[in-house]
Amino acid sequence: MSIKKPLLSVRDLVVEFNTERGLVRAIDGISFDVMHGETMGLVGESGCGKSVTALSILGLIPSPPGKITAGSIQLNGRELVGLRESEYRKIRGSEISMIFQEPMTALNPVFTIANQMTDVLSRHQKIRGKQAKNRAIEMLELVGIPSPDKRINEYPHQLSGGMRQRVMIAMALSCNPKLLLADEPTTALDVTIQAQVMEQIVKLQHELGTAVVLVTHDLGVVAESCQRAVVMYAGRIVEQSPIIPLFKNPQHPYSAGLMASIPRIRADKIAELPTIPGTVPDLLHLPDGCRFADRCQYSDDRCHQEQPNNHIKDNREVACFHPCGEVS
Amino acid sequence: MSVLLEIKNLKKHFPIHGGLFNRVVSQLKAVDDVSFVLEKGKTMGLVGESGCGKSTLGRAVLRLHEPTDGTVILDGTDITKLEPKALVDARRDMQIIFQDPYASLSPRRTIQQTLLEPLETHKIGTAESRQQKIEELLDIVGLRKHVLHRYPHEFSGGQRQRIGIARALTLEPKFIVADEAVSALDVSVQSQVLNLISNLQKTLGISFLFISHDLAVVQHISDDVGVMYLGRLVEKATATSLYTEPRHPYTKALLSAIPTPDPTIKNQRQILKGDVPSPLNPPSGCTFRTRCPEAMDICAVKAPVQVEVGSKDEPHWVACHLFELPK
Repeated sequence: MSIKKPLLSVRDLVVEFNTERGLVRAIDGISFDVMHGETMGLVGESGCGKSVTALSILGLIPSPPGKITAGSIQLNGRELVGLRESEYRKIRGSEISMIFQEPMTALNPVFTIANQMTDVLSRHQKIRGKQAKNRAIEMLELVGIPSPDKRINEYPHQLSGGMRQRVMIAMALSCNPKLLLADEPTTALDVTIQAQVMEQIVKLQHELGTAVVLVTHDLGVVAESCQRAVVMYAGRIVEQSPIIPLFKNPQHPYSAGLMASIPRIRADKIAELPTIPGTVPDLLHLPDGCRFADRCQYSDDRCHQEQPNNHIKDNREVACFHPCGEVS
Repeated sequence: MSVLLEIKNLKKHFPIHGGLFNRVVSQLKAVDDVSFVLEKGKTMGLVGESGCGKSTLGRAVLRLHEPTDGTVILDGTDITKLEPKALVDARRDMQIIFQDPYASLSPRRTIQQTLLEPLETHKIGTAESRQQKIEELLDIVGLRKHVLHRYPHEFSGGQRQRIGIARALTLEPKFIVADEAVSALDVSVQSQVLNLISNLQKTLGISFLFISHDLAVVQHISDDVGVMYLGRLVEKATATSLYTEPRHPYTKALLSAIPTPDPTIKNQRQILKGDVPSPLNPPSGCTFRTRCPEAMDICAVKAPVQVEVGSKDEPHWVACHLFELPK
């Protein structure tokens, strides 16, 4: 990367959960940076730790059972791990905001949109009353809600899913955060509405210069809106790379398998979709070596015994002994 | 090819109660006048957004929802007219795979109990042959025999969906409704299950009604595809014809809304405005006109009729005023 200082810097982060069945290491030593104003995709399948990563940046890991046991998270050089709750509250919503997957449950059903939006503004920006409401209306207009001055007095149940997600975005951006964490923001929405909402996020990101971490399992969404992506598998980062080379020439066999198995509209029908054999390993019984080794067509003895370290080449990082099937 | 399933003018309206005496105040037209034909051993994909009535249609075909009007003819028998007892027998030929593999298996039953139940209900075979049958089924869906004594919570989503498929296959049905059968699965597992379904279709000759919101998934698995909007079928064609030459503005918008997994292509998106209108109060004329980029005056007045736009090999019809010739 360049000499520019990153906005967010995560180093060797480890998050563990104490479950009935034993200690689960949901995230096992991940490191990545987010630059000012960039959109970064955090990709992986269910259980790979992508949402836990987002929650730990915001200090929202439920504790107990969860705990950040090692590593650091720095926002503009300031350490966030171990911060007091009262300090964290000042950061959430003003410097880092989050959009959740489920717009139905993320809004409080017993308060109007106006109530919930002005609450954020009065807490972080010290503006109240009419002024706060006007600012909230401005934000709703920005995210493309028709007649925002009327809509603002409605309750969440009166809005459609797409509208609720827009309200969430408006609320998340109302204090001009430097970093927006979007956890599967469009997964619960229909494709036509998904396209509307993603367009809105990308547009606002350009206008306001907010850095966005887009947590998603949808590689199509990542390809269309991110500059860089981090691919996670079973609690570790397997590859991080700028978006074009990642899609053109994935280095890690898992990224390659993931790219190949996306169902996509094809000009000619194919007989069989490419798949990745097997399933994700149980986080309680992880293999000693590379976590993908059991499903990988290139794996050899070494992969089953040793954990691969990151190779860095041309802005790309890959944790694999045989990137792209190479025999070393 | 012979016809397996014929659906004629199928309607499913849900009464809405309200007012002082809880009378029926209006009808929610979840499925409104849908007709199509499914041939033996073929798969028809049904796509549309949430609330368009695609799941209701799938259930009405199996009479899991009692249809309000219309006929469903499966292999010569009119399903809608069957007495309860005859219906139970008819259900041997038609099964369903549900969306949520977590909710559709009973948590208190072992896989063996779940798989044996249909055979016991229909009194098929002896205890021994039943056992043999379910072991074969597990093999077909790619699970090992030792899973029989386990409970659903011990499996991953993909494995549960395989169990759901095995259950649907126990009675050797002719027709299966797959309602969002792969939507809850991760991509790498999703493609495994899709391959399984398309292999079953080829080897066992079962016809599928494959309901999904994902156009890419539907393309892979279907011979024919129908597009639904607010309870109506707006376009139906062979998969090839629909994806290469979509005619209805809604189908075009759906196709263009799919994010392309290729960062070098920046496609010119055609993004629809607004939301799907409430099915309680659908727009007059063509129900899509409120979001349609090509809406004309006539669209508000008259509902469009089906117009054939395909060829003999590639049948394709669309219900849109753009394709109706002026008289």
